[in-house]
Amino acid sequence: MSKDAPGIANRILFISFFLMLLLVTAGFLGISTGSSGTGFKPVWWALINDSRSDPMSAAIIWNIRLPRVILAALVGATLSLGGLVFQALLRNPLAEPYILGVSGGSAIGAIIGILMGFSRFPGVSTTAFCGSMATLLLLLLMSSGHSKFKDSLLLSGVMVNAFAGAIIMFLMSMTQDSRLHNIMFWLMGDLSLADMHQIGILAIVLLPCFGLIFRFSHSMNLLLMGPEVAETMGVNIRFVTVALLVITSFMVSITVSYCGPVGFVGLVMPHLLRLVLGPDHRTLVPACIIGGGSYMVLCDILSRVLPEQGEMPAGVVTALIGAPLFIYLLKRSGR
Amino acid sequence: MKHHIGLPWLLLFAVAGAVMPVQTSAKIVMDQLQRRVVVPERPMRVISLAPSITEILFFLEQEDRLKGVTRFSDYPKQAAGLPKVGSYVNLDLEKIVSLKPDLCIAVKDGNPIEIVRRLESLDIPVYAVDPRDLDTLVETVLEIGHLLNADTIAQRVAGDMMSRIEKIKTRTAQIVCRPGVFFQIGISPIVSVGANTFNDELIQLAGGTNLVKGSAAYPRFSKEQVLALAPEVIIICSMARQGGFERMKAEWNRWSDLPAVKNQRIFLVDSNLFNRPTPRLVDGLELLFQLIHPEFAEER
Repeated sequence: MSKDAPGIANRILFISFFLMLLLVTAGFLGISTGSSGTGFKPVWWALINDSRSDPMSAAIIWNIRLPRVILAALVGATLSLGGLVFQALLRNPLAEPYILGVSGGSAIGAIIGILMGFSRFPGVSTTAFCGSMATLLLLLLMSSGHSKFKDSLLLSGVMVNAFAGAIIMFLMSMTQDSRLHNIMFWLMGDLSLADMHQIGILAIVLLPCFGLIFRFSHSMNLLLMGPEVAETMGVNIRFVTVALLVITSFMVSITVSYCGPVGFVGLVMPHLLRLVLGPDHRTLVPACIIGGGSYMVLCDILSRVLPEQGEMPAGVVTALIGAPLFIYLLKRSGR
Repeated sequence: MKHHIGLPWLLLFAVAGAVMPVQTSAKIVMDQLQRRVVVPERPMRVISLAPSITEILFFLEQEDRLKGVTRFSDYPKQAAGLPKVGSYVNLDLEKIVSLKPDLCIAVKDGNPIEIVRRLESLDIPVYAVDPRDLDTLVETVLEIGHLLNADTIAQRVAGDMMSRIEKIKTRTAQIVCRPGVFFQIGISPIVSVGANTFNDELIQLAGGTNLVKGSAAYPRFSKEQVLALAPEVIIICSMARQGGFERMKAEWNRWSDLPAVKNQRIFLVDSNLFNRPTPRLVDGLELLFQLIHPEFAEER
């Protein structure tokens, strides 16, 4: 490990630099695109504080588009990283935050919050967070007694998710007024409402989680070699698993509570990056954070540009791109 | 990158001052949710956040100040030509800001509160209305009129609404026989209207009895439950229009013992007359009266 330390550090920096370029480009595109007009000139003028900058378009760029781009980057980073961690922990390529029921739990929490008439933030965010934490606790309790912790966790997750789906349908069928629209929009995922203040809070909560997961990246490499190898290499499997599970669920539920469940990012980005960069989690963790962020920013741009009128939920775009891309990659790597 | 983060905030303050139009005078009003809103003395760039608000603004002849409407604002026809700011539940924030409004008018039932807060954080005043029944609807018309310095027209529109409602009231006052009405707003699934809705109020004012009791505003029904209610009049108020209506009517006609079928009293009405709280609800009331009591409606 110590021998290849400088090499891996350089590799991480190199990959991060290139993905960062992608993120900055995507971000620039993001603040240049919107329903009131698309163009680079106004953005450039606003950036350099040029006298030609129209105050209204500058306000739109800084107060509406920029928060949205930052939120998209944070959400993409969190969901990709969440997928990466769950895939490593469960050694299952299909794992992502949703499959463990974490998002189902937070959706139930959010819907209850909406039905109780809370506002999106902090009311619904809090109930969504409580929902996912309760689900996680339930999952850990359900699978803790089993010798095959990993498998029973995955199976319990699938069942909890199905159960959560049923409860969501039940709650929705009992609701008939305008709150139903609110629930549907939350379920489709929406990035347009957050302001800088809320995004600041989100960033303060998420960035330490990213750091902590990076600390565990070497343990994730060892875990993938199998529990026996990991244990002989000095990894406390139970501790690492529970710690990663709690951190990841925490950050995913926080993002989901802000913008609703956005699917497929957690499945596609880790796979894509693993195919390109190889299986080392020390590079994959930062790559997922920056790459996942860029992917989500690009998807959000598409969600604003594609429909002629209004917008479509960002979750629709991530799924429309994600699923075919995933199948293509699977086919190619199988050859 | 560091550069980019500092600059926006500096700019933001510069811009915040510039974006707010210099208002020579502003007034503080209470909206219908009892929120204090600072609005311009004479709002000139108004955005309507719901089709019903758009209709009311046209009734008040304030269409020149209307700079943006929601997607399904289709009445009157001229409204459809105005810039669109998304649908009333999924509003396009950027589009609204780009139209430089000095006032947005929102409805409590439909517009998400988050959008309202976000608009206010961008220094755009939002006046929210919350019409619950015909009385508060008349009030809403008067208040919006006052907000836009169109009191005279608003009083005329409100006066017309009230006198027409009063006319129906005096006509139905002597009616003893009040047919049971099933007011169907959804075809598949079957959805009706409960107490505390505009439609419930209209049915009662028009001299009918709403067969749906209970607190749920828009309860769902199975066919069996509807048959058990034995409605004498079925009114289908659907956006599905003619095709869906014919199918539903044929469906009900299979039950020849149903009083509404026996007397051939299944009707289709334009949903826009019944699901938007606008002065056109009074047209809906008059139509209902004709459908429920054709015998009285004819002897004018």
